[in-house]
Amino acid sequence: MVVERFPDFFQWIGPGSLLFLAILVAAILLGLFVGYVVAVFRHGPFEAFYVVAQVIGDAIPDFLGMSLRRLVAIARLTAKEALRRRVLLVTFAIFAAMLLFGGWFLNSSSEHPDRIYVNFVMWGTQMLVLLMGMLVSAFSLPEDIKNKTIYTVVTKPVRSSEVVLGRIMGLGAVCTALLALMAVISFFFVWRGLSHEHQLVGDTQTLSSFVEVDQGSRKSRFSGRRVSENAVMEAQTTQDSGHSHRLELVEDIRDADSPPLVASNVVDSEKLPNGRVKYRRVVCHPIGGHTHPVTVDGEGKDARIQLGSSVGYFRARVPVYADSLRFRDRAGDMKDRGTNVGNEWGYRGYIDGGSSGIQSSLARGLFRFSGLRESLFRRTEVIPLDMSLSVFRTYKANVEKRVMAGLEFESVPDNPEVDNRFVSDMITFETNEYTLQTLPIPRKLVGKLLAPDGSIVGQGEYDLFDDYAKNGNLLLSLSCRDPGQFLGVARADVYFRAGDTLYWLNFFKGYLGIWCQLMIIIAMGVAFSTFLNTPVTMLGIVVMAILGFYSGFVRELTLPDTDGGGPIESFVRVITQQNMQVSLETGVLTTAMEQIDKLLVWLLAGLTYLAPDFSQLDFSDFLTYGYSIDPQRLIVAMVITAAFVVGLTILGYFALKTREIAK
Amino acid sequence: MSTENSSASSAVEDSPKSEQVTRLEQTNPDYDPNVVVETQNLTKIYRDFWGRQKVRALNALDLEVRKGEIFGLLGPNGSGKSTTIKLLLGLLFPTSGRALVFGKNATEVTKNERIGYLPEESYLYKFLTAEETLDFYGRLFDMPAAVRKERVESLIEQVGLTWAKRRQLKEYSKGMTRRIGLAQALINDPELILLDEPTSGLDPLGTREMKDMILKLRDQGKTIIMCSHLLADVQDVCDRIAVLYQGDLKELGRVDSLLQVSDETQIRAKNLPESAAEEIRAVIAKHGGEVLSVENPRTTLEELFLDIVRESQARPGHRSSGVESN
Ligand SMILES: Nc1ncnc2c1ncn2[C@@H]1O[C@H](COP(=O)(O)OP(=O)(O)O)[C@@H](O)[C@H]1O
Ligand SMILES: [Mg+2]
Repeated sequence: MVVERFPDFFQWIGPGSLLFLAILVAAILLGLFVGYVVAVFRHGPFEAFYVVAQVIGDAIPDFLGMSLRRLVAIARLTAKEALRRRVLLVTFAIFAAMLLFGGWFLNSSSEHPDRIYVNFVMWGTQMLVLLMGMLVSAFSLPEDIKNKTIYTVVTKPVRSSEVVLGRIMGLGAVCTALLALMAVISFFFVWRGLSHEHQLVGDTQTLSSFVEVDQGSRKSRFSGRRVSENAVMEAQTTQDSGHSHRLELVEDIRDADSPPLVASNVVDSEKLPNGRVKYRRVVCHPIGGHTHPVTVDGEGKDARIQLGSSVGYFRARVPVYADSLRFRDRAGDMKDRGTNVGNEWGYRGYIDGGSSGIQSSLARGLFRFSGLRESLFRRTEVIPLDMSLSVFRTYKANVEKRVMAGLEFESVPDNPEVDNRFVSDMITFETNEYTLQTLPIPRKLVGKLLAPDGSIVGQGEYDLFDDYAKNGNLLLSLSCRDPGQFLGVARADVYFRAGDTLYWLNFFKGYLGIWCQLMIIIAMGVAFSTFLNTPVTMLGIVVMAILGFYSGFVRELTLPDTDGGGPIESFVRVITQQNMQVSLETGVLTTAMEQIDKLLVWLLAGLTYLAPDFSQLDFSDFLTYGYSIDPQRLIVAMVITAAFVVGLTILGYFALKTREIAK
Repeated sequence: MSTENSSASSAVEDSPKSEQVTRLEQTNPDYDPNVVVETQNLTKIYRDFWGRQKVRALNALDLEVRKGEIFGLLGPNGSGKSTTIKLLLGLLFPTSGRALVFGKNATEVTKNERIGYLPEESYLYKFLTAEETLDFYGRLFDMPAAVRKERVESLIEQVGLTWAKRRQLKEYSKGMTRRIGLAQALINDPELILLDEPTSGLDPLGTREMKDMILKLRDQGKTIIMCSHLLADVQDVCDRIAVLYQGDLKELGRVDSLLQVSDETQIRAKNLPESAAEEIRAVIAKHGGEVLSVENPRTTLEELFLDIVRESQARPGHRSSGVESN
């Protein structure tokens, strides 16, 4: 999963609120200016000053005079009004239809059916709900004005801010209820759609459906892949939900008094001459991220073998990410970015494996962790380290052969001049290109204790938490052990897995992201419709939403050094069929065009700052790839949403206050 | 027809137009608590999207409404009555001049605490019941639940809708809608009530009840501004009226004095024999008088109204004298 932001609320809130205030002040100044210009036309330059001053002077008592009872009354009325609209019903009907047809064409035989299911429901819900929020909010206030029902409301001591915020709250409540319903239904849809069971292929559901493993090749008779080391027999399950699993009978040899790894799937046990016990167990091989628990009823040949319902789809991994990722190049020099291999978009940096002449490259990816404590982890004997590494090959050797990588753990002492530090021996492993792989890191790691001058003070097994990361800091250095190959990583690609959280909770956290987007859309709809009519309001929302979803891309467009100039210039170039790099004929027209372009680009850049950054509110990737959504992210999303609701309420207040309602 | 000595209303002439336009402070330093509504040179021009003038709906209106009176705005359709009321409520902004309510600018929101407004047509939420409607507007006045409940109940009874209080307004007839509209305007026990065509759509009985209710409100010390094109309504209930025609103020004064014909004398008697009538005729003739009729005691408002309309069509523009009739 691509993660580009690692928000820390307390680090974010400072610059975040500063940006918010800056935008607010800029918007107010702009509003004052526009208001003044409009007032000059109506009243002349001097009186306009008084008019503007009066609007500002009224604003503070108006906001202070807001009453919760009035807000709730307006919110309730708005909700009742919205419930009578057909949009909600239609939205729900489309949602139901989407699930009905979705369940039919979604193919669970793909490699990751869970991802497809989650992606499908979340994307569908998001689109539907945002569309609904836009329609419902863009119609609400204009309808009220058109029907003149607002006359009897604004002639009561109702503040304009209450009209705006009350509407946002009312529409928000109705849409939230519908979204919650859709979330619950989506959850059960995903759950039901993915859970399934299998039977053994064969005459009986016993060991007699198993066949001997081909001891010569040790390849499966069914899949052709290598079987597990301790497998002696294998079987296959029925094709259900588009796939079948392979079952193996494995031998599990234990000391006399120690139990088998898993007890429920033991078929028989046998005492060996050396006093140890050989358990024979049936295990089910995972496919596409899930497996089935095997239970064996009885003992020996006639024991009934049963496969339970699928497990493993519904995961919410809690990652412990590094604080930073830096690189060392082949010569060992520190770099902020990895080697650029040229064909990537820069998300991952590459670690050079060195050339074949030099045996070991000094290139490393250095992940620096802090706050690493035993208490973060559910299980602490073996700590899972998850990695998704990409490989860039400079030569296609044996494609079957995997690229080797190495890992070292180092402590980061508080005072490097004085304190000794632990450095582990290198752990080498085969990489799984692009797919998530989990490396179990034993808690006790063999390594050395080095004095500040580099001399070896001690050697042996040291504890990951008590020795290496004694102060919570740990340096994990990743290297590529195959000369001529490169290993690509980003900060989010390597993390310790602390454990899993409740899947359903995470699912609803994911929907909270959609909720934030929904609330911002509704607030925009209500605020815009205080001064725009319904179609223009909808257009405004669409523009802002597009800017919000693609703010990064649009901001890149507005950078000064883009080829081909701004919107008008590029349009001229397109219709006159001129090359992007050729400079245009100089002249008044060209200059004027360039100046207008500058203004437009400047406006567009400004708009990208006003538009909500939906990428910070979109958690669908977390659910799709099975990651727990960090509470920090939720808090940041909530604060962003609140800021937008507040900002838009202020905008709506001024627009409504200075508008002639009865016109 | 117009004389200078006025007691009930006097202040219109002492507000010269020159200083009215530019003063914008919300509270008038010489604010008289007995003047509930004051307009100075109030003008409204409706413009289209491009700022082009469309309709001059109200032209330099100077008015003063005093505490405790029923003030009528009279005029044919499109003469600017509703525009005036909307300007007083801040639903519209004046093109020039200003409107003061309780000495405050009409756009000030807090003045609404003391105002009740019945719009031209009752613009109410049709999906609410009568009870819910009044409860909603009560909440807008920040009234606590207990007060609200009691007030809603008594108002529904007052306007005679107890039997239909649980029905949605979309099932209401025009007359019932008007009544609930009035109840809505009274929810906060306002000091100033603005009624836009309060009797429109009501049958004679309903009209009578509405008028009685208006008079009762006056007796409770409330100030009422109502507008109507129905002469009989205005004549029956209003203390003072202003006649508007195409945005211009044509007449302003007490209803009884406006309708008094000063060069005519009316003698009423009971059980007068025919011979006596002959004698009286003779006496009148002797004094050089001329007998017009024996019945019609007064001109009706209708006549006055049609006069104004006829005259305005002949000579359009503002009424010549800026002085109030008495
Ligand atoms: N919103 C508006 N836009 C343009 N013209 C309007 C608007 N409202 C009223 N008018 C015009 O202003 C004039 C006065 O209207 P109004 O005050 O409603 O009259 P009345 O209430 O006396 O019947 C009419 O000519 C009417 O057509
Ligand atoms: Mg009207």
